[in-house]
Amino acid sequence: MRTAKRLAGAVAAAGVSLAVVAACGGGGSSDSGKTVSTSFADCATKPNDCNGGATKQGGTLTYAVEKKITGWNLNDAETNTADYVPVMTGITPQAFVVEPDFSVRLNDDLLDSAEQTSTSPQTIVYKIKKEAVWDDGTPISADDFTYAFQTRNSKDCKDCSPASASGYNIIKSVTGSDNGKTVTVVFDSPFPDWKALFDNLQPAHIAKQHGDLATSFKWFNETVPTFSGGPYKISDYQKDVSVTEVPNPKWYGKTKPKLDKLVFRIITDQSQEVPALQNNEVQVIYPQPDQDMVNQVKALAPNVQYSLGTGLTWEHFDLNLKNKFLADKPLRQAIFTALNRQEVIAKTIGQFVPGAKPLNNHNFKPSQDGYKDVVTSTGAGSGDVEKAKKVLTDAGYKGVGTALATPAGEPISLRVTYTASNPLRKATAELFQKQMQAIGLKIDVTPTQTLGPTLTKGDYDVILFAWIGQPFALQGAEQLWGSASDSNYGKWVNPKSDDLLKQATAQVDPKKATDLLNQANQVMADDYYVLPLFQKPTFLAAYSQFANIRDNATTSSPGYNNQEWGLRASAK
Amino acid sequence: MSEMRASSVTTSGTPQPTSVTGGSDREFNVKERSQLQQALRRFRRHRLAVASLVLLIFIVLLAFVGPLVWKYQYTDITPDNSQPPSLAHPFGTDSLGHDGFAQVLRGLQQSIKVALCIALVATTLGVVWGGISGYYRGLADSVLMRLADLILTIPAIALAAALGSTSGGAWWMIALILGGLSAPLVARAVRGVVLSLREQEFIEAARALGASDSRIILRHLVPNALAVVIVYATLLVAAGILAETALSYVGFGVQAPDTSLGLLITAAQSAVQTRPWLFYFPGLFIILIALTVNFIGDGLRDALDPRQTRQRR
Amino acid sequence: MLAYVIRRIFVSIPILIGSTILVFIMVKFSGDPLEPLKMRNPPAPRQTILNEEHRLGLDQPIHVQYLNWLKNLVLHGDFGPSVHSNTNIGHELGGRLVVSLRLVLISVLIALIFAVITGVVSAVKQYSATDYTFTFTGFLFLAMPTFWFAILLKSAAISYNQAIGTQTFFTIGDKSPFLTDDSAWGHVKDIAGHMILPTIVLGLVSYAAWSRFQRASMLEVLNSDYVRLARAKGLRPRRVLVRHALRTALIPLTTVTALDIAALLGSTIITERVFQWHGLGEFFLDSVGDHDANAMLGWLLISALIVILFNLVADLLYGVLDPRIRYE
Repeated sequence: MRTAKRLAGAVAAAGVSLAVVAACGGGGSSDSGKTVSTSFADCATKPNDCNGGATKQGGTLTYAVEKKITGWNLNDAETNTADYVPVMTGITPQAFVVEPDFSVRLNDDLLDSAEQTSTSPQTIVYKIKKEAVWDDGTPISADDFTYAFQTRNSKDCKDCSPASASGYNIIKSVTGSDNGKTVTVVFDSPFPDWKALFDNLQPAHIAKQHGDLATSFKWFNETVPTFSGGPYKISDYQKDVSVTEVPNPKWYGKTKPKLDKLVFRIITDQSQEVPALQNNEVQVIYPQPDQDMVNQVKALAPNVQYSLGTGLTWEHFDLNLKNKFLADKPLRQAIFTALNRQEVIAKTIGQFVPGAKPLNNHNFKPSQDGYKDVVTSTGAGSGDVEKAKKVLTDAGYKGVGTALATPAGEPISLRVTYTASNPLRKATAELFQKQMQAIGLKIDVTPTQTLGPTLTKGDYDVILFAWIGQPFALQGAEQLWGSASDSNYGKWVNPKSDDLLKQATAQVDPKKATDLLNQANQVMADDYYVLPLFQKPTFLAAYSQFANIRDNATTSSPGYNNQEWGLRASAK
Repeated sequence: MSEMRASSVTTSGTPQPTSVTGGSDREFNVKERSQLQQALRRFRRHRLAVASLVLLIFIVLLAFVGPLVWKYQYTDITPDNSQPPSLAHPFGTDSLGHDGFAQVLRGLQQSIKVALCIALVATTLGVVWGGISGYYRGLADSVLMRLADLILTIPAIALAAALGSTSGGAWWMIALILGGLSAPLVARAVRGVVLSLREQEFIEAARALGASDSRIILRHLVPNALAVVIVYATLLVAAGILAETALSYVGFGVQAPDTSLGLLITAAQSAVQTRPWLFYFPGLFIILIALTVNFIGDGLRDALDPRQTRQRR
Repeated sequence: MLAYVIRRIFVSIPILIGSTILVFIMVKFSGDPLEPLKMRNPPAPRQTILNEEHRLGLDQPIHVQYLNWLKNLVLHGDFGPSVHSNTNIGHELGGRLVVSLRLVLISVLIALIFAVITGVVSAVKQYSATDYTFTFTGFLFLAMPTFWFAILLKSAAISYNQAIGTQTFFTIGDKSPFLTDDSAWGHVKDIAGHMILPTIVLGLVSYAAWSRFQRASMLEVLNSDYVRLARAKGLRPRRVLVRHALRTALIPLTTVTALDIAALLGSTIITERVFQWHGLGEFFLDSVGDHDANAMLGWLLISALIVILFNLVADLLYGVLDPRIRYE
């Protein structure tokens, strides 16, 4: 399980990087928040407000994180890992926050406003709050924005290794005015995703004390931060064991942290998290769930409550078009048609996620505005064996339903590859093998230890893995399905789709862009290349006496509101 | 592998000369008993060992014949998800609907194969290694024994994990690795026996009669070292099963889609409280095998090393 | 005796070097430590990868890499760079050595005490119900997979905590990150609460093996002529047992204990994983996972040194305990 997570991180998570967050996600909670929800039960309907409630002063909360901390600079390629976000989010301030419903909100503790004042050239003006200061009293200013720009654009600092330069590399200038409290950012070319920028601001005045850009960027990664520009500051770090944070006395935001201590406890083996929760050694866990975890946590009610959410990570089957059999569309269609997604769900996540449903779009999640079902009409994932057989018979295949062979009589057998030590994928691969028997297709189940090379070398026929979706879908789509992209591992080439994608990215109107994207998506779905299975569930369990902790599957992590966490006023 | 330690073996053994009886003109009418028969007699008296042997034979039969007659294959996916034990599924089912009994049988089969291979590889290699070392002494001995020291200096499970991480998890690779790493233990013991034997009168006599090296080794040394080797072999079977389990737990053992008992309990480690049947049944079989094999080893030691019988009357 | 010790230490140097070469080659062929970096998406800049290769010395032939490592170690006491640029292997090993050794030594001590007691009782009351019980439980412990037992024990300890409503046992780490009760007693309770489960798990197999061993060696002594003589002389049974028999019967156990240290260090890999201790065992697993050659070598050196040291101690102890043996 550990390996699986790491691999997913290496391949899929890195594809998104922490930087890319929502711009046109949105919708969702507009009129919620009137009645205060005090439990996780409402998280499905009120993702941004569930488990709320008044808090009181005091208490210690221990939150389990799954990775040893190897660096402290979230903007560094080596450290850029989702697991560290909850630890750092209370230290390094961000311009925008992604809410649990994937919508983007201005961080109004830090900024008075951030507005696009011109479209050509695209210009954004950030107004920093007067009272926003680092904990040594130095104001948070344009200098800090400039530092982020210079270290992350991969031009001003060649020796910095930023996790992603996306956006920063097309900024023309970052200028401060009004005593550094107003920042004007001018882009070379339009960057619709601008709200993703300036997400982990670091103190430029401290950087100055530690050498040039590259040296200080490295210093930030090596050194346990004693500074803070957020609600918490680090008071103690025990290597590989825990990070202890206490309220930052200079915190300028409207909600002051009520907890005495916020402790992040490092537990690297997922299967040890639930026992630690049972034993009250940690009060919040956020592991990749399985049936046993959920049932064990369920048994801890009412002291502990949990929420199962549908995250941004989605599992899918990919076909390799370089395979000589799979190059033929009827075979691809038959495979996907005979594949029964409902059964896969029922045999796997359906056993602990009530109401889990197949995913029917490659770019959007059902909670997003752009979501449109492009799969059902193609018959893929329906498990309609008769139709699959008919497709094959019509195309002249032999041995349909018994021992499948090409029209020329060559017997067909394929491999299905999945990440070793990922039980969910192992189960799915075995089900796939079983379901393909119905059309007479012989499948070998082959685990891979190293997902990355397997993908880039194209050493698979059918493969099962996950992408972490992005709230903002345009760039992702081109990255994943564009014929020129390296991440288009199965080498699907379709000029029509390429053209539609290009039009979409050039589109200023988000509505039209979404529409074009879905058209391109339909083209791909009709050609039976990638079949989405389901969104991977997320699982947050917390002791009930703590309020305001809730799932956030986005890059902002459940720690996005950690200044609000605290002991329930009603708790004894 | 941690369990694979020298201390569980107390056989040092004053070696017994092979019986050179066989005169036909005897005065008493006593039935002649070969050493083997004597050993068998002594073993039979060790009731726990005999019971263990019977149980072990039953388990092995179950592992290899069971899958042929049981209604489910280990790959079968039944419609019953996570069912507790019932008549249809005596060992319950997992979340995918695999029949627990079929899975345990398959795991049992693979684990037994791994364990037997470990014992076979380790003893074969160890006998040759220790035999050469002890018989020829000199440079060969120094080199071989330093090599043994070298391997024994490193915790075996660590070496196995490092090697296993590159092996791809085929069961025979795991068996080869673990077997190879256990060989030095056997080699050391065999060398000890050979060293003490080669100075004994009956070997000198054989040599004086013009016996060749190979004849001395095969006819005199090997049979006498056999007692030690057999005892080691049984203990290695038990240690092997446990070592495979430990390796599976740290993720460097047998890999899915193949299975083993170790892999089964590793997969079920968070199911102790919620679906205990997935955790207990494979564990139970590991314990049964290791336990019976150890009892048999104990019985064999008593039977083959007559010194010990003084204590057991 | 000093000469003997020095000679022994010199003899172990080639063994150490041999084992580092062995492991170095093994790790080098096990995989590419920079793979996660190379597999990044979007890809890491080419220059970053080259920098990393240079930092780790991967741009040199394998024998040069090894010799450099050896040179730095011998001349500067430097274990070389780790795959994680912020990690100093030497410091890391030092800290973890303390964690693991504390666990191992306490387990050994407790296992030894129990092993001697049960071994002696078993031997004295041979074929009694007590003997059979000890024998059977001993065999049972020997037959249990370590982590299987660890998980069961953990589960039982949590149930106990929940039933009693206190936090007597802890399941992760070697101490709490912070203490509400900051008194000395609070610290003792906290450390003991974290220590007890892993100690039982780690010590169990050793206990079983050693109690069997102690029983056998005690029996051998009890059946020996000089004990019979002591009895015949009319010495009090207790005196015979303790002064004559036990003293002699303990000698082989000391050797075996020291020799088992290698196996115990192996066991910590499992124990530390289940209980989330950050000792040598965990360090080892991480290094294998990261294909971190230098880290592996560092780990290997430390554990090999411990093993060699304990073997030496075993030999010396043997000499101290058994006056017939002299080291020249």
